[in-house]
Amino acid sequence: MSSTNHVLLSPAELAYLHASLSLTPPIRPDGRAPTQFRPLVAETGILPGTNGSARICFADGTEAIVGVKAEVERTVVGPEGEGVIVEGGEGEVEEGGGEGEAGWVEMTVEIPGVRDDDSGTAFLAAMLSEGLLADEGFVRRLWINRRFHWKLYLDIILISPPLSYPLPLLSLTTHLALLSTRLPRLKSEGDEDPFFDDDWAAAPYLFPRPNGKSTTFVSQTRPPITLLVMAVGNNIIFDPSKEELAVADVALAVSVTAGSSSSQAPSKHVPMDTSTEGRNLRLLSIRTIDPPSRLTPPGVANAANSAYGANAGQKTTHEAQATAEGEAVEGVWRAPRGGAKRMVLGALVQKVLERGGVVDEVLDALEGVDLG
Amino acid sequence: MDRRRINGPAGATQPPVFDDVVSQGAKTVSGRSRMPDASRKMYLKTGVTPSASGSAYLEMETSAKPGASGLKLSCSVHGPRALPRSAPFSPHIVLSTHIKYAPFATKQRRGYLRDPSERDLGIHLEAALRGAIIADRWPKSGVDIIISIVEGDQDRETSKSQGEEAWDMMNALAGCITVAAAALADAGIDCVDTVAGGVAALVQDGGADSTPTIVVDPIPSDHAKILAACCIAYLPTRDEVTNLWFRGDLPASDMDLYTHLVEKGILASRNANCVLTNCLMETIE
Amino acid sequence: MTTTAPTLAIPGQLLGPATRYQPGPGTHLHEAQLYSSLLGQVHTTAAARAPGPVKRLTKITPAPVPAELPTISVMPSSSAMASGGFQGDEGEGRSGGAKKREVLPEVGNVVLARVVRITPRQAVVVICVCGDTVLEAEWQGVIRVQDVRATEKDRVKVYESFRPGDIVRAEVISLGDQANYYLSTARNELGVVSAMSEAGNTMTPVSWKEFRDPETGVTELRKVAKPQ
Repeated sequence: MSSTNHVLLSPAELAYLHASLSLTPPIRPDGRAPTQFRPLVAETGILPGTNGSARICFADGTEAIVGVKAEVERTVVGPEGEGVIVEGGEGEVEEGGGEGEAGWVEMTVEIPGVRDDDSGTAFLAAMLSEGLLADEGFVRRLWINRRFHWKLYLDIILISPPLSYPLPLLSLTTHLALLSTRLPRLKSEGDEDPFFDDDWAAAPYLFPRPNGKSTTFVSQTRPPITLLVMAVGNNIIFDPSKEELAVADVALAVSVTAGSSSSQAPSKHVPMDTSTEGRNLRLLSIRTIDPPSRLTPPGVANAANSAYGANAGQKTTHEAQATAEGEAVEGVWRAPRGGAKRMVLGALVQKVLERGGVVDEVLDALEGVDLG
Repeated sequence: MDRRRINGPAGATQPPVFDDVVSQGAKTVSGRSRMPDASRKMYLKTGVTPSASGSAYLEMETSAKPGASGLKLSCSVHGPRALPRSAPFSPHIVLSTHIKYAPFATKQRRGYLRDPSERDLGIHLEAALRGAIIADRWPKSGVDIIISIVEGDQDRETSKSQGEEAWDMMNALAGCITVAAAALADAGIDCVDTVAGGVAALVQDGGADSTPTIVVDPIPSDHAKILAACCIAYLPTRDEVTNLWFRGDLPASDMDLYTHLVEKGILASRNANCVLTNCLMETIE
Repeated sequence: MTTTAPTLAIPGQLLGPATRYQPGPGTHLHEAQLYSSLLGQVHTTAAARAPGPVKRLTKITPAPVPAELPTISVMPSSSAMASGGFQGDEGEGRSGGAKKREVLPEVGNVVLARVVRITPRQAVVVICVCGDTVLEAEWQGVIRVQDVRATEKDRVKVYESFRPGDIVRAEVISLGDQANYYLSTARNELGVVSAMSEAGNTMTPVSWKEFRDPETGVTELRKVAKPQ
């Protein structure tokens, strides 16, 4: 399991890290601001054999590649679907998009050094696809006609060993790959066997660009992004590194997407100070990540440590065990017990969804990536 | 493919689906017969598996409709026991969780090997329990928590089950958390509190324009559309959440809606916790 | 002192403030309050009792605090009934189909172990009894050559101290590495308590380092535990 693999930090180091992250403002080991992401290098369209691809390399050396392949698949018509055809002849949905099924998207995550059937990768894949599928409009876009649909395979491969919990990296790479995904233009009509345009240049993007006519009523949602947020004390820290995650009180993975503000009724359109119009963020999924801090070794206070001359004698072991159940001693690391307070969880989610907050920053940065 | 067992036929067949006699044609939503804040009735018993260190069995009341089945879960806890020799030193108890649907638990037959969704549930359960147990009481040892879902929570009457699997998973997880907490207490593994799971959902019963309402312990087939749902593992004495799983589609501008959903999830979890504490008190009396 | 504490507890139940009780087995401390962490019966014991390697259920053993507070503990119902306090014998625990709760060897405990393998550097043993409790699981331990006896450690030879099959009384000195507990017999009352001769007879101890076969009269070398 990638989130709980052993962190080689001593109890003293953990206590130091926890203390410095609990300060206001927190001091992170790499000097970042609490909401600052690690620098990354991103490029798209790197794999000519795919419908869309992307690569992101974090500064710490972790690197991921995502390839999106689309195949035409025959839609398995359920019994009630046939009933509709037999009875009426004309379906009730004709406006270019029937219902989509979750099975039309298949996502696999591969992490080197981790077994294929590892639960951790299943969890990662489920988390990433959950955000994607929560957006109902997305699967509907894979609909070709009543008999056929696109089947989308998203293969996420982490090239480097997982130096930190790879969730944000994989999510951002998937986001870019989906943005650059194009499906061939359909030339056939109605329910006949699909027939596509050979001209790749004419192929439309799966997620249409807002350039030019930005006031269309097509809901221009973007693929979701999943952010990793953690809390230490009252501090909220984004994109934690492996070491920071090792002292987290609670860690959450939050998937959000941004619909363009034009598609929704402008109820609360707060003008931003910059040119970026307020994005219409939507919350898609939240999962608690089991923080590896619960598996860290506890420290021993000096008062209980016979090496420091305290309680030398036969009672030493009993003393030490009693203090293990005693009150927390300043500067002595103890693995956290129990869960997270409601208020902390609420604050974490609120911070993610903040207007003009981190999500906007990340999306702005991702928009800057050339999707050529 | 697991060759050690007798597997089902290689070619998948369409399961027989019988025409709904009651509701010919249009899909009727029977609607919810409970109050929005009421959970289904639950039966919980510990000590059902003599060979395990601890065990528990949970059954959800079948919904008002005849023919609709309730959730049936059986959990056994093995350990604490010595770790395998290859395992590295651990100052804490090593928790491993297995959740498996019985092959006949759902409409679609499940195989013997755990599929990704079952593994995913296992990780959720692990996160929920890890916050509850006091892991440093049992160094160098491991405990296995094995849950088999004997019967899934599915409506057999309606032929359509589009997109309901995801919500069913949440209901199953909530039950798994509760039953595992009972089995852990039965096994005598130190816990800071009794953790119980609860689900709340934002549903839209009328048309697309109706106001969504928040209900506790939803049955997907009772509602026309589920907009969002969350499953929460909650420690009542400490007032802490060990696992939060939310999915759906909510506007970010409306934090209140999300907060209410979580509050209702906690309420559902408290309801389940009442059953759990009563069951545990019965066990020791 | 038992006026406020409940008699039965479930995990997470409040037992009382930490200023009134000391945390015993089956309890935990959270924000200066003591809570139960197990399902079972609540016991309070006056602090006067000598802390020793009694049958322990968790890591926590009573520690003498100046204020001499009573210790509050929670015992799982089945083993609490069977053992009647702390000093029950293990035969009772098994009776009546009552399930026994697994316990772990812990630093300071005196355990009984069976020697399974010897090498020039160490003897590998399997811990069978911890304190007064027969363990369900088999925990492996190691007695290193330097831990066999307290004096003349450099002259100790493992094959002159233990043989496979011997039953050894030893003290746990460390949780050790991933596989083994580290045990020591470096005390008079620790060492081999029961041994078979090469002829297959049960031997009797005749000195601090010899066992004798009563039938053949042959003596064999062991690190003999002082009979109690």
